[in-house]
Amino acid sequence: MEKKSIMKKITGSREALLLVVLILLCAAVSLRSPSFLSVQSIMEMLKNNAVTMIMSLGMLCVMLVGGIDISIMSTLAFAGMSVGMLLKYGHVSSTLLCFLIAMGIGIICGFLVGLVISRAAVPPIIATMGFMYIYRALAYLVGNSEWAGADALGSFKDFALGSILGLNNVIWVTIICYVIFFFFMKWTRTGRKIYAVGSNPSAAEVSGINVKNIKLLVYSIMGFLGGLGGALAVSIYASAQPNMQYGKEMDVIAACVIGGVSMSGGRGTVIGALLGSLILSVIAKALPIIGFESIYQNTIKGVIILVVVVVNVVMQRASDKNNLKGREM
Amino acid sequence: MAGKSGRSISATPENTLKKTIFSWEGVLVILFIAVNIFCMTISDVYNLKNVLREMPKYLAEIFLLLPMAFILVLGEIDISVGSIVCLSATVSCMVCNKGIPFICVILVGILVGTACGMVNGAILTKFDELPPMIVTLATQIIFRGIAEIALGSGGSVSLSNADGFRAIAGRVGIVPYIFFLVIIFAVIAAVILGKTTFGRRVYAMGTNRLTAYYSGVHVKKIRFLIYTVMGALAGICALFMVSSSYGANTTTGSGFEMDAIAMAVFGGISSTGGKGNLAGGIISAFIIVCLRIGLGQVNMNPQLILLILGVLLICAVALPNVIAEIKNARKVASRK
Amino acid sequence: MNKKLVSALLCAAMVVAPATTAFASAEGKVCAIVTKSAGNPFNEKEAEGFQEVIEAEGGEAIVKHPESATADAQVSVIQSLISQGVDSICIAANDVNALQASLEDAMAEGIKVCTVDSTVNPDSRMTHVNQAGVQEIGQALMDAVLDITGGEGQWAILSATSQAANQNAWIEAMQSIMESDEKYAGLELVEVAYGDDEPQKSTDQTQALLQKYPDLKVVCAPTTVGIAAAAKVLQDQGSSVKLTGLGLPSEMAEYIGDDDAHSCPYMFLWNPIDLGRLGAYASIALANEEITGAAGEKFTAGDLGEYEIVEASDGGTEMILGAPFKFDPSNIDEWKEVY
Repeated sequence: MEKKSIMKKITGSREALLLVVLILLCAAVSLRSPSFLSVQSIMEMLKNNAVTMIMSLGMLCVMLVGGIDISIMSTLAFAGMSVGMLLKYGHVSSTLLCFLIAMGIGIICGFLVGLVISRAAVPPIIATMGFMYIYRALAYLVGNSEWAGADALGSFKDFALGSILGLNNVIWVTIICYVIFFFFMKWTRTGRKIYAVGSNPSAAEVSGINVKNIKLLVYSIMGFLGGLGGALAVSIYASAQPNMQYGKEMDVIAACVIGGVSMSGGRGTVIGALLGSLILSVIAKALPIIGFESIYQNTIKGVIILVVVVVNVVMQRASDKNNLKGREM
Repeated sequence: MAGKSGRSISATPENTLKKTIFSWEGVLVILFIAVNIFCMTISDVYNLKNVLREMPKYLAEIFLLLPMAFILVLGEIDISVGSIVCLSATVSCMVCNKGIPFICVILVGILVGTACGMVNGAILTKFDELPPMIVTLATQIIFRGIAEIALGSGGSVSLSNADGFRAIAGRVGIVPYIFFLVIIFAVIAAVILGKTTFGRRVYAMGTNRLTAYYSGVHVKKIRFLIYTVMGALAGICALFMVSSSYGANTTTGSGFEMDAIAMAVFGGISSTGGKGNLAGGIISAFIIVCLRIGLGQVNMNPQLILLILGVLLICAVALPNVIAEIKNARKVASRK
Repeated sequence: MNKKLVSALLCAAMVVAPATTAFASAEGKVCAIVTKSAGNPFNEKEAEGFQEVIEAEGGEAIVKHPESATADAQVSVIQSLISQGVDSICIAANDVNALQASLEDAMAEGIKVCTVDSTVNPDSRMTHVNQAGVQEIGQALMDAVLDITGGEGQWAILSATSQAANQNAWIEAMQSIMESDEKYAGLELVEVAYGDDEPQKSTDQTQALLQKYPDLKVVCAPTTVGIAAAAKVLQDQGSSVKLTGLGLPSEMAEYIGDDDAHSCPYMFLWNPIDLGRLGAYASIALANEEITGAAGEKFTAGDLGEYEIVEASDGGTEMILGAPFKFDPSNIDEWKEVY
């Protein structure tokens, strides 16, 4: 009896399914290459994918209200490039100040996106496509055909090298973001409002939630995380280039969708976003270690994304059927 | 408001002239003229001959705009088309180098595109709860990945005999063949979307798919068909891309999906589905193309051009909404 | 930046530099350079050198960046330049084959076409301005690997994309040099990895190399983004694996040094400003029909000296700027300010 309910719980919950997929994936990789599951290797993986993981949280919020944001990596590049140039020309040297500036730029960028989407009723994909061009162009203009290399960044890049209690600062930032969002989405009024707006906007409106402001809020959050990601990326790779993370917004969206976040809004959890981005991180880390010819890597990545989302649907259908069966009995 | 079906503008009896001018299409035509005058003033070499000569590469993207408009009206999106262009250009270059007759090369190019489109369509109809964006994102990576594998190291293939492709890049006087072809396809697509039962069903599905399904529309069949046609036209686009470069490489067609979507949206086709018509999309495509050519001729920073296009895109969608809102607010106020 | 913005916004055409020199050999000529992509300091310096020479010789220089680093984008740029009726186009190509149709169009209109940095197939160009011979680069890198490993051991290559034409040619040259000479017998090339010129992927690839080959001694990265990412990984881990390759001094200054605290003892590159300048002189010579791009012709490239056009390995012709330049701890501080 006990066993049955656990089984049911596993097949019934999307997150548990994903966890199984993740474990299977890790097991398969470590069979080929035992060193994959070493502490160092996992730390490297988390650090190298921190930006995608953090941005997934923002994308989760955006997708929960039924939106999408493809301008995030342009925001990231704009914020990162601005910080890089400020450091290069010695206008700023404090690491904390740099993070604040990047996050500030991010919030402004996100706020503008949110304003256009919530107040002028522009469909999110269109608005963010426009801003994707605009912010990326701004990153190029700020850079003025220069990069900021390791030498120009001074002590700023040390942030990504330092560690507290044996964990790298970047990983700490990721953990803190996830903990905050976990509580924010689950136990605060605003967090629940985001879910409410996503599942049924008109019902939410009637029950006194200001839908427009919630939308404005989620895009501002997304922008904020984009700015944070920009500062982190510059610090991690010790380099600011205007084309950084170009096209990676699709990875973030893919991470959320793999994690079970619905594109029509209302469904999705922080844990799901975490598992989705972890699955993508494992794939990115594992492919070169297993030693696939690099020319096949893109195809394999695409197939894996497709298989994961299709399997997700098939499992969901099966469990829906099961639930119905239970009801009939 | 374009009304629930998106065609109430033309369906209702109208005081024609005023309505035409004040419709979005009317605005676009005026904008098209304005853009051309603007380009002529800033660039000395902006003339019909040069514009038509620079145009073929951009015209090829209009082949993608046409089916993309159908997909957007459905309320869906296909971001894999750029990769389909890449794969089909690669394969047609390779078979062309095998020395088979050129007509077969054309068939192969279109067939490869069609097959890719069918893959998208099949997955999306088989698992219809999957969002098109994520499925086409995966196939976007996969199709280009297959092209990368086929191209191997070097990542680029050139035509050993470009005669056939040189022929389709030819022109009548100063007008390239592709111009006529685009116009013919555009008229056919516009008529199908605007004047046939099929088109009306597409709008119905875009407005409310479930209602359409219950009222007897073959939802699956129509979606499958549209994604397949999208692939086929991507194949045609690929052939013209090859004819403008005599080769294919791993970046062929990258970003075309965004260009096509931007043109459609600028033309008033809503990505939320059920709204807009193709005439607007086609006029706006030409506005964007002319603007790009003109600004390119005065050597403007390309990032600045993209910035301008981004602002235009947002304004094109935001302004009508904002104006409607203000009007609404006034109405409410006057009623009080 | 402000100046650039304003002038671009006003859509002002380039201001023709006043021609004062008596022997202005580019008098009245409009010469264009097309780079690989915008926002890249290497390309920018190349364009700077080009512009400086053309304007000093009394011509008008047009610098064009494509909107993205693809051949498709360069096709539009070339078509636009044909409309403008320029006299010569000097282009750093993003693909060997895909520009053929548009460059043939350009040459049919009487525009002189040469390539710089990375070339196109021989049918689409008149000549190529090569930064350094493929063999010389392969030789320099192989000798560096031999020197740093101390004569034997495992080494790996971290390249850009598997499709990058320049990188592939250099890697091929390195492999054939390694096989042809006994002194490299102790070296074992374990893998050619590709980081796609993205910091994130290059980091993944470098870490994978370290994990897979514990006995690895040297990584050779003949690409500017890859070498910086690899240098960061090696230096942060305090790894004993050393690095060499081709990199930008300003990006690599932090990592170059002889001691264990630095990951890269030395690396190579060429001077992009001189490359642009030679491209400019070649463009002028072509536009004035002093040369046609045939092998054996000679011309004077200002203070760069005299250059001879030679047969290239792809069947076309080229001129070679010089040997790759070595950056080590003694000169890196001086060069990091330049580019």
